[in-house]
Amino acid sequence: MRIEAKGLCKQFSRFVKSDEKNKKQRREDFFAVDHLSLHASAGEILGILGPNGAGKTTLLRMLGGIMKPDEGSVILSDDDGNVISDKNEIKKHIGYISGNTKLYNRFSIREMLMIFGDIYGIPKEECEKRAQEIIDLLDMKKFADNRIGALSTGQTQRAGIARTLMHSPSVYIFDEPTLGLDILSSETIISFMKKERERGCTVLYSTHYMEEAEYLCDRINMIYNGNLIAEGSPAELKKNTKTDNLRDAFRACMKEAANE
Amino acid sequence: MNKRIVASLYKKEIIDILRDKKTMLMMIVVPLVLYPLLFVGTMMLMKSMMNASTEKSYTVALDMTKDPAVMKSIFEEKGNEREYSFEFMTPEAGSSDKEMLEEGLIDVYITESVSDDRPYYNICYMASETDSRTAAGMADDVLSDYRTELTSSIIKEMSLSEDEILKPIKYVYKDYSSNEQNVGYIIGMIVPFLMIVSVLMGALYPAIDTTAGEKERGTLETMLTLPVSNRELITAKFLAVSTIAVGAALLNLFSMGALTVYTADTMNLAGSSSLQAASFIPALFITLLCVATFAMFASAVSLCVCIRAGSFKEAQNLSTPVMIVFMMAGMSTMIPNLELNTVTALIPIVNISLLINSLFRFDYDAGLILMVLVSNIAYSCLAVVFMSEIFAAEDVLFGDPSSSVKLLNRRDDIKKGGMPGIGDLILLFSVLLLVVLFAGGVFVLHLGAPGLMIEQGLIFFCPVAYAWYIKADMKKLFSVKAPTLKGIAGSLLAFGGTWILMMYLASLLTYLFPDQVVQNNNLTEIWEKSSLPIIIISSALFPAICEETAFRGFMLGTLKNRLTPAKAVIITGVLFGVYHMSLLQSITVGVLGILLAYIVSHEKSIFLSIGIHFMNNLAAVLISQYEEEVSAYMPYLDKPWVKVGLFIAAVVMLILGLFILNGRKKEKTAE
Repeated sequence: MRIEAKGLCKQFSRFVKSDEKNKKQRREDFFAVDHLSLHASAGEILGILGPNGAGKTTLLRMLGGIMKPDEGSVILSDDDGNVISDKNEIKKHIGYISGNTKLYNRFSIREMLMIFGDIYGIPKEECEKRAQEIIDLLDMKKFADNRIGALSTGQTQRAGIARTLMHSPSVYIFDEPTLGLDILSSETIISFMKKERERGCTVLYSTHYMEEAEYLCDRINMIYNGNLIAEGSPAELKKNTKTDNLRDAFRACMKEAANE
Repeated sequence: MNKRIVASLYKKEIIDILRDKKTMLMMIVVPLVLYPLLFVGTMMLMKSMMNASTEKSYTVALDMTKDPAVMKSIFEEKGNEREYSFEFMTPEAGSSDKEMLEEGLIDVYITESVSDDRPYYNICYMASETDSRTAAGMADDVLSDYRTELTSSIIKEMSLSEDEILKPIKYVYKDYSSNEQNVGYIIGMIVPFLMIVSVLMGALYPAIDTTAGEKERGTLETMLTLPVSNRELITAKFLAVSTIAVGAALLNLFSMGALTVYTADTMNLAGSSSLQAASFIPALFITLLCVATFAMFASAVSLCVCIRAGSFKEAQNLSTPVMIVFMMAGMSTMIPNLELNTVTALIPIVNISLLINSLFRFDYDAGLILMVLVSNIAYSCLAVVFMSEIFAAEDVLFGDPSSSVKLLNRRDDIKKGGMPGIGDLILLFSVLLLVVLFAGGVFVLHLGAPGLMIEQGLIFFCPVAYAWYIKADMKKLFSVKAPTLKGIAGSLLAFGGTWILMMYLASLLTYLFPDQVVQNNNLTEIWEKSSLPIIIISSALFPAICEETAFRGFMLGTLKNRLTPAKAVIITGVLFGVYHMSLLQSITVGVLGILLAYIVSHEKSIFLSIGIHFMNNLAAVLISQYEEEVSAYMPYLDKPWVKVGLFIAAVVMLILGLFILNGRKKEKTAE
């Protein structure tokens, strides 16, 4: 499925010091995401890159239907031209993972999968079958019936992926999925994303690891202060900025945006 | 709302709560272990204290004018009869009784003197010392027994009948209440309070866990990735918390019931005549229904309080005032003369405690029971709908970190020209309700018409001051705008129609519920005492300005900013009705409230509703002041064709009025 966002906008307010002498704080509104449009097609990994505070997480939350945009819309469309714009319908096709989506510690992985399957409206027998498939796929047999609260970080990470697989989504949104993970655990996630792309799924993904992005992404959107400042494949970005790796290309883009 | 989703969310919530060790500790250990332990401990302590007082020997200092041995033998003899034991000492000359008592050398000091030719004794003791107080009581018993003995011997010496002299009249108690009624009276006093506290305890903890706890554990964001609507989420949470609250309350009641039966059995409190426990079955059954509906109410309130809390700690802080309010209201059974009636049956918490109290006094009123149960369910449903409309889960997660109640923020931090939130609305109207109920009541009672004006002044002042503090956009919030000619015409027509229809509704309601017609005595009294201009100013002009400012101004303005216009209008109207706190008046006034809110919402001019409100109240004043003149027209109005004609005319007027109001809006959008 193709995911498309048109003119997404989100305002937050923050406290700022009004002047040096006066220590009073005053509230100020600012755009976390400023009328931003983007799209990603089936079988494509789109990387969202940007410095801290650029609005990546807010953008991905709005794309995943977790946060309501102040303005703009998100739509999904398939090859047959069917369009989905209802928030809850969109959620049925999206698998969303971020560092903030924690799991229910008082449940086992299997119980959690069953309950989530139930909420997605999957019949019970099918749920059981699907849960077993996912447990086998992610090699979680040993701890599938232990409470999630007692699992290790790597095991929890796999359980998090398992959660998004239950309803076989066709669009994945990953917000810094490899943050703070060791090489082996990151590889599990990276290979998972590649596998899903081969199956024809759309993957949107934000990260601070440039090498990882360069290796994985088909296209990259660079974001600064809530605005889209550069777009293209890693090769195109390197060419446009006349650099030979994505790390330098990123630096060049950010420098240019900050100067403007 | 998808029932399947609610069911699976409910299942998830229940498992989640039940697997929380802290909740289970509160639910099971407290009622089943802590209560019995506390109870048995207190019993044992009391028993040991009672034993100690008779086993212990108390030191008595006898300061007699003659031989102290006489008094000593009296103390020994009478003390023996009552199983008291004393030790005696004779104070040395010059020693101070006060010092001896203070130093704890003796427990009680008895002095003898002569007054009016009779021996006169002082029992000196220290009330602040337990032993001294006990000993003084014992000395009192001994001397009183001694006096009785002397009295009868004197009477005998005069060869008179002791009985005739001491009891010139005789009386006995005759108690017609049955054993069951006596027991029910005591149960009815205690059970409501215990039930309310245990239900609230059972509801609060899971409510905090499932709202602030879920946010703190980071699972709320996960929940938002699922195709679940706010209403489904909140309904499921509400049902789960209610279930747990009912469970906790039943466990608590069971535990306390078992303890009561146990103690009654061991101490033989129930008396020799057997207690017909079966007679309590209907009361118990309805109490169970009360527990269930009240658990819904307590859960809804707890969720409302906790849902916006950012953390466990904040939720716990917020729940403290709720607990205090619940406990105070739970003690309403102890207030003398507070009975369950059509007014108290609508006051949350108080109604449940009064109902349970009346049930155990074998006082069943099906209408009132239904009113209490239905009102509790209605309040809970309203609260749930309200929560799911107002509190979007995503706001809880990513929303403004400053308090949703703007009053709690520093004025400097508040942005200018904003609108109050729902938290502000709830706070303001809770304060207003208290102002009207207590301060207003006192003013009206003592000052009459001026008191009425002060009460209304407060209703005006509070919302305006609140709006000023939070720097709200006053013009927008209070709909300050000159009315248009078309607006005036439309609202006058609509009001005329509605007013006539209100009269029909009122007479229909009076016919259906003749018992519910209550006279507002305070108001009638004020109207009888004051002159017409004063009545008009205090009962028509002031309410029109002040109530409109609060309801169609602050309330409607706030709600319109958050809800669809239709919902805002209906909620404002209904709450305006509820505010009048009488079953019949509330319905007709609610209808008027909806019309007024509709007009202000459409025309954005508060002056229209002030004018109409004034006319409505003025009509009521004039009808009551010129009752005779008005009743002269009654025969004309009683004719069937006039009735039907008026009704049709009213409907036509209303439709025409609404049409004019609506037409204006379309023109505007066309522009």
